[in-house]
Amino acid sequence: MSINLLHRHVLEDHISGFETDPNPNHLSVIRRPVIFSVLAHAGQETAVAEALWNAEDVAPRFCGPSEWLAVSRTVGAETVAGMLSAIAGASVVDQSDGRALMEISGPSVRKILGRCVAVDLHPEVFEQGHSAAMLCCHATANVARTGADTFEIIVPRSFAGSVFEELMEMGREHGLTRGFAD
Amino acid sequence: MASLITCPHCGTRPKEEFSIRGAAAPKRPSPTAKDEAWHRYVYVRDNPKGRILEYWHHVAGCRRFLVVERDNLTHEVFGVTDAAELERAGADE
Ligand SMILES: [Zn+2]
Repeated sequence: MSINLLHRHVLEDHISGFETDPNPNHLSVIRRPVIFSVLAHAGQETAVAEALWNAEDVAPRFCGPSEWLAVSRTVGAETVAGMLSAIAGASVVDQSDGRALMEISGPSVRKILGRCVAVDLHPEVFEQGHSAAMLCCHATANVARTGADTFEIIVPRSFAGSVFEELMEMGREHGLTRGFAD
Repeated sequence: MASLITCPHCGTRPKEEFSIRGAAAPKRPSPTAKDEAWHRYVYVRDNPKGRILEYWHHVAGCRRFLVVERDNLTHEVFGVTDAAELERAGADE
């Protein structure tokens, strides 16, 4: 495609929007994720953690010593609710409508996230499968490394807009694109 | 972000993630204690310089109350413990 640079206004992208074809660096907004918060009763922390890590179709995210988020992008809320309520010594609450799930990936992902969080994301420190609650773009978020260059970010619904805008702003230099994903 | 606190649950984090909740050394009197004891606890506080114990709430992380031992002059941090663990250890003694 030839671009007529002479007639391309400097604010063209700002008005008609930046490119939306996925680039290597891409931010996916997951349409309908299932997110449950799981709390362990006193003394049951280890047993609940073990059950969560062994659960199928559910990815556990660490929040605090007796608190986790259980995330699923493959099965429905009822299946997850049934599975989690079978864990002895745990209280579970469906948070799917209260949280937004985004996935950021690409070769520059660490450089982009490095401007959003104050946590060392080196793979030797923040390993694959690791997750933690932290400030991300000034909001309380749960960040997880799901691949070598892939991170999942869970934010409260009311913060999703501002976190999304800030992530896009931080990624603009690296050509970060965005779109919905299932 | 110069002030780094190593949370026992979350690892090293900047001070922006915490809310400082005051001195941890004064012992809370019992609810039935005399007014003088409560007055002393609420209003008569030392203002020490040097090594102090403080409650830090990890608001943006694990949301646990921590006890941070630090120097308020140099901001050298000597130790960070979960407040509940410290309480338990104190009860065992
Ligand atoms: Zn913490």
